[in-house]
This record gives sequence, structure tokens and C-alpha cells, in this order.
Amino acid sequence: MEQFLYYLKVSSISIKRAPLPYFLTILIMSVGLGVFFANATFYYWLKHDPLPGKSAQLFHPRMNSNPNLCSTSCEAPRVLSYRDIKALTSTDIASASAAMYSAEGYAKVKEQQPATRANIRVTQRDFFSMFDVPVLKGAVWPDNETRMEVIISKAFAQKMFGSDDVVGQSLILDDRFFKVVAVLDDWGMFPRLYEPAHGGYLEPDADLYLPLETAYDLNYASNRQSQSFEDADFQKLATDGRTKAIHQLLLWVYLPTAEQQQQYRDFMNNLVQSEKAAGRHPNANGNLLHPMNGIMQAYDAESQEVKAFALVTALFLLVCLFNASHLSLNRYIANQYEISLRRALGASRWQLQGQMLADVLVTAGLALLLAVLIALAGIALMNHLLPDNSRMASWDGTLIGGLVGLTLLSAYLVTLYPALRASFGALNQQLK
Amino acid sequence: MLELSNITKIFRTELIETHALRGINLTVNEGEFVALTGPSGSGKSTLLNVLGTLESFDGGDYKLDGTSIKGWSDRELSNLRNEKIGFIFQGFNLIKDYSLFDNIELPLRYRGMAASERKRRVEQALELVGLAARKDYHPSQLSGGQQQRVAIARAIAGQPRILLADEPTGNLDSLMARQVMELLEQINAQGCTILMVTHDPDQARRASRQVQIVDGMLSDASMYDPLAVA
Repeated sequence: MEQFLYYLKVSSISIKRAPLPYFLTILIMSVGLGVFFANATFYYWLKHDPLPGKSAQLFHPRMNSNPNLCSTSCEAPRVLSYRDIKALTSTDIASASAAMYSAEGYAKVKEQQPATRANIRVTQRDFFSMFDVPVLKGAVWPDNETRMEVIISKAFAQKMFGSDDVVGQSLILDDRFFKVVAVLDDWGMFPRLYEPAHGGYLEPDADLYLPLETAYDLNYASNRQSQSFEDADFQKLATDGRTKAIHQLLLWVYLPTAEQQQQYRDFMNNLVQSEKAAGRHPNANGNLLHPMNGIMQAYDAESQEVKAFALVTALFLLVCLFNASHLSLNRYIANQYEISLRRALGASRWQLQGQMLADVLVTAGLALLLAVLIALAGIALMNHLLPDNSRMASWDGTLIGGLVGLTLLSAYLVTLYPALRASFGALNQQLK
Repeated sequence: MLELSNITKIFRTELIETHALRGINLTVNEGEFVALTGPSGSGKSTLLNVLGTLESFDGGDYKLDGTSIKGWSDRELSNLRNEKIGFIFQGFNLIKDYSLFDNIELPLRYRGMAASERKRRVEQALELVGLAARKDYHPSQLSGGQQQRVAIARAIAGQPRILLADEPTGNLDSLMARQVMELLEQINAQGCTILMVTHDPDQARRASRQVQIVDGMLSDASMYDPLAVA
């Protein structure tokens, strides 16, 4: 330890000897790292697995149930009809399943109050267990039947009632009374991969959860993606929505074992065959079963801007490191006399590596500080340019650890070649 | 103690080969004070660098205490320099932004010596060269002669068995040169073997033996072993 402190002292003396080139090296490294950090933050969240260990067992089924014969695009629609949902959940192969869509409404606690806009997730009972949603108070619906009951988020409870202890109280949603049966705790699923299309994975969680059957009875239409393949009225979900090809539902099924997954695929294929036999499935079998951990690729939903920036910033970092290494080389060459003297007096190359590691730590520490500041500025700029991505701007332990590791590696690379070159110089040439 | 057998050293560039040492045979016994003399470019400093393992050799063998150092690793050679050899350079080679204490302590640091022992040895060395009161000074605050005395203190702090001095008085005036020579004689009297490169015939005469090098070879006058003569 004492020797290492000595190495740190030698590093600081070396910096004082030529501070300007040194801080120029740090600045160049920091700019490269800072810009890279900013982009890496977005890229990390884009690739983040919100349910590690489970996302490979959650599947999103798609079926080409278009009643019309397709001519150009024959890919299965991304949303399903109510009939499809009923058919796809008529089996008990899946350990859990939940259909869902996004809607909106206006809520208030008292009739005289002005209403507040509420983001609604229309869904079913298993949604909460499948996506590990924490329940703070109360209990979720016991089944998927129609009921005038809502589940609300903690933030929405605080906003509407000023408290999260509101189970059993009434909430007026679009002039209808609902009973609050549960309050959800803060929920950090991000990205929300159960809603992969149109940037839905970046949006905050819903304020309020409404049972699917109730939403259909009350004609709550989707505010995101919907398609109709026959003459039908979206305002009549209670009737047309249940019987006609109005597609607005996403389905997620939980298939924890490979056997269940294969059984479900077989079930979907058999379903298509029986539909065809009944004259209802004119198109070729276009069944798809996307795992949650591959849903972004399947939907081609990853932000192309972030991916392009990732490539550019990685190249920029390399250029910065190359330049920093060049500056560092000049500094080490200037110090070659001292390095040679130390070797002449008995320091082995291995011992000089200890000195180099101290240089790396000092360099990495300073570069990290400056790079973090530059990264924060970069993130603020990207949030301004791409506001949809603003939820991807936070740092967690893994990300911070990665950034520190990258800084150490960069500092090592910037220092390694110059230090080796300086330590392999001819001793007698330097010590005349 | 030191035994060179047919040592050769060639410096190569793309255009030219320079034979700096051509079959040097030399034996130096424990406690000797040997002056290496010869004209400029004759190979004196190269020979000293080979002896100090600052320079490799191309042919022949170099034995120290009966053991050949041919093929030794960087770590073995570093340990050898650190523990058995002290260097005194013409240009002092002190680190200007280190205190005298830190400069002298430098080789001891790489020996893994405890801080208290390092302190004791540095102070002892400074005492010997008469600069004990100035341990916190920096080299630039000292005269050339004093700086060379600091370099000597650094060389002897590790209590080496061999001291290699490359024109140690080359940059000093006559008064300071005399002081440095007296110091070297004092160190030699304590049993340390010294090999000194010098141009100065007066200083060479103060050594117990003179070895002359001409064109990379020992001249005839040098080809004797003092113990064999005795």
C-alpha cells in the first residue's frame, strides 16, 4: 500500500511537470467517453430486459385471422380481435394470459369536480402476476368477468384522493361510478415491452386499470392501434367489437416451459386448421409467437436514431482514444529519461507497471469526473432533441459499473502503449 | 569478482556496423579501484554500461561472483543492478523536482525495504557525503559538486558491492572534482569495488589500477592481473 501511495505521488509530480498536455489528454478522453456514455445510456435502456429470467417465457401470439384474402402484405396483424382472443385463451396450456389495450378517459372523485385525464390500461386479471406488478393495497380482480371495479396506480391515487389508502372508495370515470379494489405500488418495468409498437414501451405506466369485459361493455376504444377488416363500428365494441373483425387487442401468454411453448404452437396451428375448415381463415397460416425478450426486434421497434448514434459515438470514442494515446505518448517520451533512470537504479519492468497502473487510476478518475459531466450535458441535449426517449436517461448500478469499467479500460489503453514504449527504451541513450 | 571473457559489442544501423567492444577480457577483484581510460569513442562507457547491465553484449561471457549473467531476465538484471551495483553518472541524473531524500531513496524503494530502514540508510548516506542538513533541498538548489555528492549518496545508499562511475568529475571544477575523488577513495577504502571511466590522467593515477581501452580493445599495458603479478 505504501508503495502504491508512492506511485500516486510520482503520478501527481509527473502531472505537475507538464499540466497542460496532461489535461488536454484528459479532456480528449472525457469528450469521447462523455459522448459515448450519453448514448450508451439510451442504448442500454433500449436493450434492457425489464423482467430478467421471465421475459423468455412470456409470449405475444399473432394470428393472420384477416377474413379477407390478402394480396400484398400477408403478415399477421399486430393486434387481434375479441374473437381471436377468446379462441387463443380457450386452452389451459398457458400458465397465465392477459389481453390488453390502451385507452383513455376522464376521472374524478366527486361529481362537482373537474375531471382529470387518465391513461387506462384495459386488461385482464393475469396481467398483474405476469408482469410482476406490485400491489400496495387491496387485491386484483378474481376473474375476467365484467365488474365496475378499477385498479389504480399509487401516483394516481395520491393525485385523485390525496392518499393511497383508498381501497373501497368510489371513482367516477367518464360519469360512471367504479369501486377502487386495489392500489399498485411504484412499478419500475421499463421498457414496457408488453406495448411494443409506436413507442408505447417508452411511455409511463397507466393511471388506471379497467377489466376488458367492462371496457367492451362500455365501448372504450383503443387509443393506439386498431384495425377493422370488415364493416364495423368502433363505437359499438359491446356488440360489433365482440363479433366482428375489429382488431385492437394485444395478447400475452405465460409459457414457462419448452413443452408448454411447443404445445401452444401446436394449439395455434390446430386452431388455424379448424378455422379454415369452418371457412373463416382464408389466408395461409401466419402464426407468430414472439418472446418478450425479442419483441423489439420482431416489431423493428428499436429507435434507429439511438442505434445510429451508438455507432457514431463508438467511432468517435476510438478517434478520441487514439488522439489521447498520441498525447500520452509524447508525455511518456518526455519522461523517458526518468523511466530509464528508475530502471538503471533497479526497477524492473514489472515494477514500472505498478507505476503505470497508478497513472491509469489517476487518469481514469479525472477522466470519469469530466466524462460524467459531459454525459449529463449530452443526455440533456438528447432529451431535448428526442423527447420520446427521455425515460431512458437514468443510470442504474449496472450502467454506472459499465461506465467506470470502460473508463478504466480506456485509461489503460491510452497509457499502455506509451508506457511500454518508454520502458523499452535503451537505458544508456537516456543516461549519458 | 567481475570477469569478462571475450566480450564483444556491435552497434548496428541500416548502413553501418560499429564494433564498440572487440573481445574484452578483464578481471576485477573485490575492493579494487579501477580507472578505465582511453580516447573518446574507444568504448570506455560502453564497457561500463555492459558491466552495469545497462547495455547487453553480443558475444563472450560476463561472470559476476563466478555466475554468468548471460540470458538473465529483465527482473534478474534489475535485481542485480538494484542490490549489487551503484551508478554515478557524469550528468548526475538526479530528478530535479524530487528532494535530495527522495532522490537517494529511489533505488531502495524498488528493493521492498521498510520505510524506517530506507530513512536510516538515506540519512547515513547523506551524512557520509556531508549533506545531511539539506535532505529536503532540491537538486537545483545545490552546486554541481554537491549534486554529484548526492548522486554518490544515492549510489551507495543501497550498500552495493560495485560502484560504476562514468566520468564523475567531468562536469565539475577542479576543487569539486578533488572532493568527489576523495569521497570515492573513502568509499573504496570501506571495501566497495569501483570502476571509474575518466579522461583525467591525474585521477586515473589515484586508482589502484588503470585499464586503457583503444578501439574497443584493452591496450597491452592493461593486460595484467594485479593479483597474478603480486
